[in-house]
Amino acid sequence: MLSMLMTTEYAPAEERRELQRLLRCIAGNDRDALAELYRRTRPAVYGLALSYLRNAHDAQDLTQDVYVQVWDCAAQYRPTGSPMGWLLAVCRSLCLMRLRREERQAAIREEEWDAIPAQECGLDADERALLQGALARLADEERRIVLLHAVTGMKHREIAALLELPLPTVLSKYHRALKKMRSCLEGDDAR
Amino acid sequence: MTNEKMEQRLASAVEKTAPNDVNGVLSRCDERKGTVIPMTTKKTTKKRWTTLAAACLALVLLGGGGIFYQQAHAVASVVSLDVNPSIELKVSRNEKVLVCTPLNEDAKAILADMGGGADLKGAKLDVAVNAIVGSLVRNGYLNSISSAIMISVEDNDTARAEKLQRELTSTVDGVLQTSEAKASVLTQTLTQDAGLAQQARENSISTGKAALVNRVLALNPALKFDALAKLSVEELKDLAEAGAPAMPIGTDKAMDIAAAAFGKASTAKMAYSAVDPELDESPAHYEVEIKSQTGEEFEYKVDAYTGAILESKREAADGTEVPVVQPSKPAASGDIGYAKAKSVALNHAGVSENKAYDLEIELDDEDGRLVYEIEFKSGGMEYSYEINAATGAILKHEAEIDD
Repeated sequence: MLSMLMTTEYAPAEERRELQRLLRCIAGNDRDALAELYRRTRPAVYGLALSYLRNAHDAQDLTQDVYVQVWDCAAQYRPTGSPMGWLLAVCRSLCLMRLRREERQAAIREEEWDAIPAQECGLDADERALLQGALARLADEERRIVLLHAVTGMKHREIAALLELPLPTVLSKYHRALKKMRSCLEGDDAR
Repeated sequence: MTNEKMEQRLASAVEKTAPNDVNGVLSRCDERKGTVIPMTTKKTTKKRWTTLAAACLALVLLGGGGIFYQQAHAVASVVSLDVNPSIELKVSRNEKVLVCTPLNEDAKAILADMGGGADLKGAKLDVAVNAIVGSLVRNGYLNSISSAIMISVEDNDTARAEKLQRELTSTVDGVLQTSEAKASVLTQTLTQDAGLAQQARENSISTGKAALVNRVLALNPALKFDALAKLSVEELKDLAEAGAPAMPIGTDKAMDIAAAAFGKASTAKMAYSAVDPELDESPAHYEVEIKSQTGEEFEYKVDAYTGAILESKREAADGTEVPVVQPSKPAASGDIGYAKAKSVALNHAGVSENKAYDLEIELDDEDGRLVYEIEFKSGGMEYSYEINAATGAILKHEAEIDD
């Protein structure tokens, strides 16, 4: 029991310190630090981007933009804030900018959920069913919350702060989303 | 599939589909561009993190070496952590936790993911304290620069108490430094005192906090022990420093007062609220911050002793300060009419009617209140307003670049 407690207690603090250190180095023009930050955090950034942009191709593009942006403005990060929260706020802000731009170009953007990249990436059947089938049943915000929770390990409270939503909303959407996903998977199993 | 399993599989699916092209990123990072995108700043940075106050209160109560906790023969020292949650740890001679007890409801929430304290049994004291302080930080108890955590060590062996206290202070400092927390750390060593322990138990607080309450009582004997016991360590510390002139209303009451004022000023729901006691300022007050779901921010200063609202500020979602609209009497639930609503919005935007285009006005019922929703464009900007149909008060306004 205690060992579990220690991993939940200590790993994030260490991770956080490491990310803070990397951001400091990036601010000092250290390219290796940027590579390391990318290695550690790309699934989280990509997951959030995917939840906003709804398709794998755009999300992959935007993920790259996020790190270029981080390279350009790492100096703005303040060590008092959560480094992961900051990184994801950069990602969210780029996503919203992009969506706004597209909204202006094409009056309505109602893109289908398309989370499977064109290139082969070794997903098994379960992962495919979850990422494409189950997530497709969710509303945008539900998807965003589930992805953030699953991929970044952020607490609901932190997710609420990032998405500027009240905590109870995040909690209820999260639980509703998991229920929908489960019923989707179980329905598929029964077939 | 369990929820946990499902999330794990989802995480691995995202991991596999996430791009892995570090060279692509690096190739775009050769020269630094000067572009800066506006970032949603975290709430914490808005506060006044100017100095990191580390007040140290060393309160040594000597004498009264009564023996208590007879049954727990192995208990060498009792460590209590008080913020508002009060947690007591009984510790053996070799610094292992024997029992960890939440002393109030707030503390139970803090220990919720540690089996209510049971999981900490047998842990080294510093590990346990680290876990508890981490949970306090996550629950937002130590985020404000003025918040305070008090570590009390009760031990009849003064040397051991002081050694423990030093170790714990550095543990807690360590946790606070790696997080956003800016709280000050107060420490005290006590010798075990049956009377104090009794008083503490009756009020569901730790003996450490009881000692602090007694210090305040010594300054103003007219105050009540049980009422003081409900205040946070931060409030007690400030109260003691201010000479304890009267009984403060407390954070809950201050929140109620501000929430009532907010309810009159806005129809939106509350999205976020925080109370910060400023008992060390003059006049002593509680600062209440409320953020509405529409993004407006309100700040109220509530007199700590009388409950009167000393100051209120309102800031629109775009950061501009809005004059606080005095809650006007419902004008016989009248309707100001389209023309009046339009002129209120145009006047506020400083746009003359012939310069405005794409103007749309809609009368809408929002939670039983009639509201005019007005949108128009002018000079490359897009404006939107919500205006109370009965009073003409602007409930919400936004202006963004239209391009």
